[in-house]
Amino acid sequence: MEKALIALSAALAIGLTALATAWAQSRIGSAGAGTLAEKPEMSGIIIILLAIPETMVILGFVVAAMILTMK
Amino acid sequence: MIVRMSKVEIAGPKDLLQDALLLIRETEMLQIEPSAIGFIEKGEEEYVRTFLPDKDSLSERLFLEGLKSKLEGFFSYLPVIPARKSYIEPRAIIETIAETIKRHTPACRDMHQRKELLKKELAQISNYASFLNTVEPLLEGIEQTPNLEIIGLTIKEPRILDHLKELIRRLTDDESRVVTANTSNGTLAGLIITFKDKSENVKRLLKDENVPELSLPLSIEGLSFTEKISALKRKIIEISTGIETIDKELEMVAKRWLPIYSRALEWINERLSLLRTLSSTFETRFCFFIYGWMPAEDTEKLKKRLDERFKGKVALEEKGTVEEDIERTPVILKNPPYFQPFELFIRFLPFPRYSSVDPTPFIGIFFPIFFGMILGDAGYGLMLLVVSLITAKRFKLNKTVRDASKILLVSSIYAVFFGILYGEFFGELPRLIGIEAICIERRTAIIPVLYFALTVGGVHVMIGLFLGALTAFRKRAKKEVLYKLINILIILCIITLVIALYGNASGLFTMPIVIAILILTPLLFFTGGLLAPLELLRTIGNIFSYARIMAIGLASVLLAFVANMLAGMTGNIALGIVVAGLLHLLNIILGIFSPTIHSLRLHYVEFFSKFLEIGGRKFEPLKKNG
Repeated sequence: MEKALIALSAALAIGLTALATAWAQSRIGSAGAGTLAEKPEMSGIIIILLAIPETMVILGFVVAAMILTMK
Repeated sequence: MIVRMSKVEIAGPKDLLQDALLLIRETEMLQIEPSAIGFIEKGEEEYVRTFLPDKDSLSERLFLEGLKSKLEGFFSYLPVIPARKSYIEPRAIIETIAETIKRHTPACRDMHQRKELLKKELAQISNYASFLNTVEPLLEGIEQTPNLEIIGLTIKEPRILDHLKELIRRLTDDESRVVTANTSNGTLAGLIITFKDKSENVKRLLKDENVPELSLPLSIEGLSFTEKISALKRKIIEISTGIETIDKELEMVAKRWLPIYSRALEWINERLSLLRTLSSTFETRFCFFIYGWMPAEDTEKLKKRLDERFKGKVALEEKGTVEEDIERTPVILKNPPYFQPFELFIRFLPFPRYSSVDPTPFIGIFFPIFFGMILGDAGYGLMLLVVSLITAKRFKLNKTVRDASKILLVSSIYAVFFGILYGEFFGELPRLIGIEAICIERRTAIIPVLYFALTVGGVHVMIGLFLGALTAFRKRAKKEVLYKLINILIILCIITLVIALYGNASGLFTMPIVIAILILTPLLFFTGGLLAPLELLRTIGNIFSYARIMAIGLASVLLAFVANMLAGMTGNIALGIVVAGLLHLLNIILGIFSPTIHSLRLHYVEFFSKFLEIGGRKFEPLKKNG
């Protein structure tokens, strides 16, 4: 039972953050594509903006890894 | 590094202005400032005004603008052919060129218009020809007697064909025949063969049923159907020959005149750019003034050139810079050859300001390290090394691809290095033959790798903060310098506190560190304002963001592990190699993009935000093709 709860916690940690990142990136991505059509010189800033929400899923992954590996 | 710039003023007698500009353009050392703000000293504004071109300059400019548009119009009628380079000096023959272009343009325009008309006619006839070619086989076996008439039609909706056949059969008392064939665009091409006395009724019926009868050009009206086909074919050949003849004539004109006119246009553009630059200069009653910026190391060279050319009549003077000039100073990035390819990544961002630090050397040092830490596989590194060498050799002339290849080359060397440390060669292959990791095994030691990544992040962010303090010091912003240094100290204290509480360090450290943080916090508020703690939290968050080095690296190593495991599960050597090869290939492709994007993000967001000031102007000197 305890093992199952640990696995569920890890899955939630990565799953929820992945969903949040995906949602944020979808919004930023579509806005960024629109911006690029008018101002191609903004590509650098758009890459940065697009990569910002990834921190959430990466930290979620770290937390999940810590839940699974740390005693 | 950002090259040190000088603010200069060049002055001389008005009649030497154009010659001085020519020399400046030749040296390509000076960026002319169209505004005199910050150049003219107080009290002198009323004597210095923007240069007003004289009547000759204005008429020359108007003449050249007109000739330029005529030449461009002429070029639009000519075919694009590789023209030889002309070394003629256009200045001497510009009047002749203005006369000859008057004759050549109408002639070429006429030829061009004739060609366009012929092309249009050809397109129309080709449509008829395509129809007739489709229905030609249907005529086989039909005896064409004078009392028969053949009506051509196009049926866009094939489902009405049966209905139409039935109507025609009834109308002609079964004395007609309808034959059809499929055309390439999905419609039906059809022929109705009937007697002449009944053809009018059939045509009326077609009109009522909204089925368009094929109307052929008037020139072939009255001919039999077979004769129409032959006539159209003859017409197509005739028009094609006409177009070919015009093309040849235009090509001859292009071969003969394009080199001369192209050279003339080039010269006109250069001359016009010089005449336009005149409006960016200044004058008094007798003198001209040119204000601008140039690399400090070049001022002596330009001074010497001006002295040699004008015998001391035109002088260059370096002016002192004030704080407001920092905003206006143009920026040149100059880096050693190793770092130059990394300027590619800086080009994605707005240009750094003059007061800032050139981020290129830092991205040149840390980007390959982060890339290597994330990919960390000697096998993948070697493959990328080969790919980068091939692309660098193949795309020698494309600067962007060449730079990207050089970056990949350096990064792949680091990937090989970290691969050796992690003991990874296409995943865990070395361990299968008993070779252990020199340093750390990423797949199992997740937490130690995380600590390693965070430590690297801490050092990187701290360097960024230190550079921020340095930038602030150069701007003489004392409060900002102090703020950045306090940030560094508090972060160091927090790191030590965490180590003391959760690590093996002695707990004796904790109290002095807490006291240090308590002393530094009010100073943080004082130097950074009320939002300073939030900024500090953001910086700590930035350090945690470096956990991605571990996370993405782990994903990469696990994918390699899965590739090898699946290959082993197939139980067949050949199939195993294919499976492992495909998965490793996918991992290598991901291994190019993922570490690149994330290493860049760590620089752009976490590192550069600590010191980089953007919004600078790129140095654009006056030059011939500028």
